[in-house]
Amino acid sequence: MPEFGQFALRLGLLLSAYAILVDLVGRRWNRRELLASGRNATIGCLLCLTAACIALEILLARSDFSVRYVAENTARALPFVYKLTALWAGAAGSLLLWLWLQTGFVVLAFAKFDRDSERFCATARAAANLVAVFFFLVLIFDKDPFGLSVTMPRDGAGLNPLLQHPAMVLHPPALFLGYAAFAIPYAWVFAALRRDDTSQPPILLSLARNSALFAWMFLTVGIALGAWWAYEELGWGGYWAWDPVENASLIPWLTATALLHCARTFRAGTKTGLWFMVLALVTFSLCIFGTFLTRYGLVSSVHAFPEPGLGILFLVLLIVIWAVGGPLIVRGHLRSSATAQTQGPGIRFVVWNNWLMVLLAFVVLVGTLFPFLSGLVSSQKITLKSDYFTKITAPGGLVLLLLLGVCPHLMRHGLSKSWRIVGAAVTAVAAVLIWMLAHDLAIAYLVACAFVGMNLVADFIQRYTRRGVPGEATPVGANLRWHGARVVHIGVLLAFVGIAGSGGFDLQKQVALRPGERTQVGDFELAYDGLDAQHGANFTAVKANVSVYRGQTRIAQLAPAVAFYSRSEKRTSEVDIRRTLAGDLYLALTEVDSGSKLINLTIYIKPLINWIWIGSGLMVLGTALVLAAGLGRTRGAPQGNGQ
Amino acid sequence: MNTKTVVKLGIGILVIGGGIGYFMYQAMQSSWAYYYSVDDFATAGTASQGQSFRLAGRVKAGSVERDLQNMTLRFTLAGAQTQLPVLYKGVTPDNFTEDKEVVVEGRLAATGVFQADTLMTRCESKYQAKVK
Repeated sequence: MPEFGQFALRLGLLLSAYAILVDLVGRRWNRRELLASGRNATIGCLLCLTAACIALEILLARSDFSVRYVAENTARALPFVYKLTALWAGAAGSLLLWLWLQTGFVVLAFAKFDRDSERFCATARAAANLVAVFFFLVLIFDKDPFGLSVTMPRDGAGLNPLLQHPAMVLHPPALFLGYAAFAIPYAWVFAALRRDDTSQPPILLSLARNSALFAWMFLTVGIALGAWWAYEELGWGGYWAWDPVENASLIPWLTATALLHCARTFRAGTKTGLWFMVLALVTFSLCIFGTFLTRYGLVSSVHAFPEPGLGILFLVLLIVIWAVGGPLIVRGHLRSSATAQTQGPGIRFVVWNNWLMVLLAFVVLVGTLFPFLSGLVSSQKITLKSDYFTKITAPGGLVLLLLLGVCPHLMRHGLSKSWRIVGAAVTAVAAVLIWMLAHDLAIAYLVACAFVGMNLVADFIQRYTRRGVPGEATPVGANLRWHGARVVHIGVLLAFVGIAGSGGFDLQKQVALRPGERTQVGDFELAYDGLDAQHGANFTAVKANVSVYRGQTRIAQLAPAVAFYSRSEKRTSEVDIRRTLAGDLYLALTEVDSGSKLINLTIYIKPLINWIWIGSGLMVLGTALVLAAGLGRTRGAPQGNGQ
Repeated sequence: MNTKTVVKLGIGILVIGGGIGYFMYQAMQSSWAYYYSVDDFATAGTASQGQSFRLAGRVKAGSVERDLQNMTLRFTLAGAQTQLPVLYKGVTPDNFTEDKEVVVEGRLAATGVFQADTLMTRCESKYQAKVK
């Protein structure tokens, strides 16, 4: 079975390399049979990857520890579902999954074969297969999922108990779905730049647009699940630590957000058209770079120059992408600038938003890479503590909120005088004053949030009171898209409310308690009633019973626990949370002495934090609405995209 | 592009770029921390007491002492040659165990004990670098 998997990967490498060759040659000399062969080779490559994934799943399900990947990521006693999801528990499996998803999307999107789009699709396939070749090389020569164990272990290392959580099962594939789907806009850009007739708008635009939406949606799901897992499972009361792994997914998310705003207003040969192309390449490059960064320990290691080994292939890939894509973009821009069309006044807003997002991505990237960069210029390695990120992104977030407040107006009327512009200016001044004078960033944020909320409400009022104007019937698709976009923006607003509330008004207290003792935190009084022990098959859990009082009335009974795993010497703390929309009371049992029943309890009060999860949910829901509108529209359109 | 737009653009880029650069510099300066392995710290860093450091090392087996009443954790951070006593007050991460790679952030006290205010463990499932 492992030999079969290795064979499938090698065959896939050959097929994708062959596909690049025939697609480019066939496109250059207009040979249809070569283009057909390129398409078939890409489909063959997908079949190879499917076979490799199935082979790895079978090995995982069978607990065949002669394969190193299986031994490192599973154990005999692991529940069956975690054995299967171990496909994405390690680097090798994750890369395989990413490549499989990506090739699947490419086949869905660019396997069309009609006179209009065959040449276009060929270039896109070649661009996507270029990435595939590099991934195959890494999979075959470095992170081989089918590599054999040196000695056959009796049992595998198992999966970290912290990761045995539904959010952690779904978080990686959601991210990889997002990363893989960004390959479609990336490949589309190459095809759009290489087309012969620049007077026509590039074909398959709606496909690139929808894939970007789809990718953004799953990236949002992945990031939100990761944050939620950190909050529920890690027991430190937070959800985001600006860890390199987290930043690696946030940075492409930021540029992708800008990408979506350009996709909405895309017209060939305009400013947003150029932005769209650059951002599509940047976003996909950042997805690859982030994976390289975290999977090869470039920034987590103390050494100034860790050995990236064959991970360097990822850097080579990025250089190739930009060496080919950069000149193409410049050439395309020069060719089209002669006939540059001007767009409406509101386009300025999209451009501002782009700059802001790119800037935020840049400062986060610099902060993440700082240990590495400092190692380049001096012998000492310098890191930035996580408050760097908070400080640097806080003003950016505030500007973003203000833009969000005025954007619908700007899109329609530009910067003409109106109460919204005045309101934005007043809010901006008020927010900066509160921040500078009272040093209370959270209040400044909430003021800005209130302004945005008012504007979003005003949008709805305007839309519904203006109804009935003759001749202004809106099609269902446009209507759905409008509402979807509003839902996303309401989600962003609510997430900001949650971030500001939980970040600015939180309380934290660490106490040592003996049974019967009480402690006061905020409005709450907590009484420690006693310990309960619970014995499971491979663990012992100790549970502390805590009663929560507000005034004289008991409002909740919480039981934070610690589980000790006998075999692996690991322990996991199971936090207990009293959730309300106003905020969470979060208890973590940090230490426990079963003899004297003395416990250390860490208590967090996190106001408004649940609005982050609600907001993230709305962002995903809204994107799904826009996506549904887009799919509905393209089905009837002549340039239907076969998705 | 005529000269006027170039000048306007130049001034704009200067002002915005300068502002952002200043912001970044400010933010970086206040959250600067030198990153050492314990061994390097022993040879290079002892002179700079009171400065913020981030140190990587291994928790020496058998050195962990928890004081539940005062909510402190003492352990010895060991490198290949040197060892450093650490005092930490705060939440211990779940996967903190003896003989494990950790990163601490804090200052060196005059007593020679490293006062850590952050304790991080390497996330082994995500950082695959050391598997080989």
